[in-house]
Amino acid sequence: MLSLKDVYYRYEPGGIEALCGVSLEINDAEHIALIGPNGCGKTTLIRHLNALLLPEKGSVVVNGLDTKKERNNAQIRSLVGMIFQNSDDQIVGMTVEEDVAFGPENLCLPAKEIKKRVDESLERVGIADLALRNTENLSGGEKRLVAIAGVLAMRPRYIALDEPTAFLDPAAAGMILEIIDKLHREGVGIIHVTHNMAQAALAERIIVMNEGKLYLDGTPEVIFGKVEILQKINLRLPQVTQLLIKLKEKGYPARTDIVNMEEAINYIEELIKKE
Amino acid sequence: MYHAGTFITGKSFLYKLDPRVKLAFIIVLSVFILWSAPIQVYFLGVALLVAALASKISIRSLAQSVKPLLIFIILIFLAHALFSDSNSSFAGISMSGAHEGFIVVLRFLCLIAAAVLLTMTTAPSALIAAVKYFLRPLKYLRVPVDDIAVMIMLALRLMPILLLRKEKIENAQKARCYDVKKAGLMARVRSFLSLIITVLLAVFRRADELALAMEARGYAREERTSATTMKITPLDHAAIIIFVIAAIIFMALKYYLS
Ligand SMILES: Nc1ncnc2c1ncn2[C@@H]1O[C@H](COP(=O)(O)OP(=O)(O)OP(=O)(O)O)[C@@H](O)[C@H]1O
Ligand SMILES: [Mg+2]
Repeated sequence: MLSLKDVYYRYEPGGIEALCGVSLEINDAEHIALIGPNGCGKTTLIRHLNALLLPEKGSVVVNGLDTKKERNNAQIRSLVGMIFQNSDDQIVGMTVEEDVAFGPENLCLPAKEIKKRVDESLERVGIADLALRNTENLSGGEKRLVAIAGVLAMRPRYIALDEPTAFLDPAAAGMILEIIDKLHREGVGIIHVTHNMAQAALAERIIVMNEGKLYLDGTPEVIFGKVEILQKINLRLPQVTQLLIKLKEKGYPARTDIVNMEEAINYIEELIKKE
Repeated sequence: MYHAGTFITGKSFLYKLDPRVKLAFIIVLSVFILWSAPIQVYFLGVALLVAALASKISIRSLAQSVKPLLIFIILIFLAHALFSDSNSSFAGISMSGAHEGFIVVLRFLCLIAAAVLLTMTTAPSALIAAVKYFLRPLKYLRVPVDDIAVMIMLALRLMPILLLRKEKIENAQKARCYDVKKAGLMARVRSFLSLIITVLLAVFRRADELALAMEARGYAREERTSATTMKITPLDHAAIIIFVIAAIIFMALKYYLS
């Protein structure tokens, strides 16, 4: 379990509070989407989850380990993997294989075990064929997959991903979402930062932030049911929900609590058949 | 994008040698290249070419890594040819000076070829593991050997980024119809300075993020292991024996020639 208690954080002394009084509990194997307007503190929040940032006030505890104690760092960082917004900044090695080995090498694993984990992680994200490629020449989507493999090689219990589909084309983005879903099914906890509401709707739980504070917390259906409250901070609903609302406004007896595409398709099909 | 001298996978002889053996060979070879008699330099040049061909490395990729240093090489040659104080001269060019310049240039080319042969046939991780192996005794003197290895890795990783950035920024300048060739001297100096500053800022920002990403993956400037396993094989034994014999003959010749 990840638990934040009344966390405050400022980047500069006397500056604005990037986090002010965030309390939050994230359970094992939970799939969470973290949304909110630009600059509301999403990146700052997830960087607290593996001790990259330490709270100025309050505490962050990862599976019983306090992030403030430096001797916990190694363990915390292998428990919580972090995918950065820009994969270019995350790739350390010159070849894919070398990069994925970086984490396990820091864990001081023996060479044989490292090899095993590298192969296993590349396999898990489906890029075993890229093992010997130079990281500089990879496409954006491939770089993102390498970054994910690099984190998986540490066998984390949770992965925090900062806008993992930014700058990717729809096909590559779809692949990342599939991998997120697969990891979740395998029991890895997911904290997915996104500006894409359709992607947020795929999570089990959505956390909305605004101005360094928690704004809303609940299932996608509950969150996207609070249209006015979301509008106050300029957040929109997923497009399928918008569509259903428009239909209702036109006088059709449509339900408006549907947030994802598949469910919407089934529902509209039903409606059409009934007519 | 391809950069001259970067590792490409292959299966030929040089690829199979243990990186430690290769690194030791190259170091000894470099000493020979610098200290050998002029006639021996020709021999070394041929030997390196043969090694390149035997390991299926094209002469073109060797030439490519020399290209950026071409002006420097020409200058060395001219300096020797024009300013050597010997009497047998032709149109201000001294013949013995020209030969002397040629030998110096050849030594230089041999050094580059040796380095390129090493970096092209050895994965960076293997090379770093080899460096780490030789530096290991220094650990007792509290030299941070693991950190040095990581620094080398980062330097190798950031180099192409540096080159790429420069290209990107130059293209951006061109896209905005900025033509350096048409600009005056001051404008050129200014554009060059702004280019350098932009590149450096980009790299520093990048280094900052990279450091954070490394920390996120558990890097803590402490002991770490390596994924690379190195093993001396019979092939290495054979190569070492041949190399040692060649080296002895080479040194004997050097004494004999001087
Ligand atoms: N390195 C930094 N130095 C100073 N201030 C920072 C730094 N990083 C972020 N901030 C500030 O902290 C606040 C929260 O930023 P953060 O990056 O966490 O927001 P975010 O929700 O991730 O935004 P985005 O959606 O744009 O990625 C912002 O006001 C931002 O300006
Ligand atoms: Mg952010």
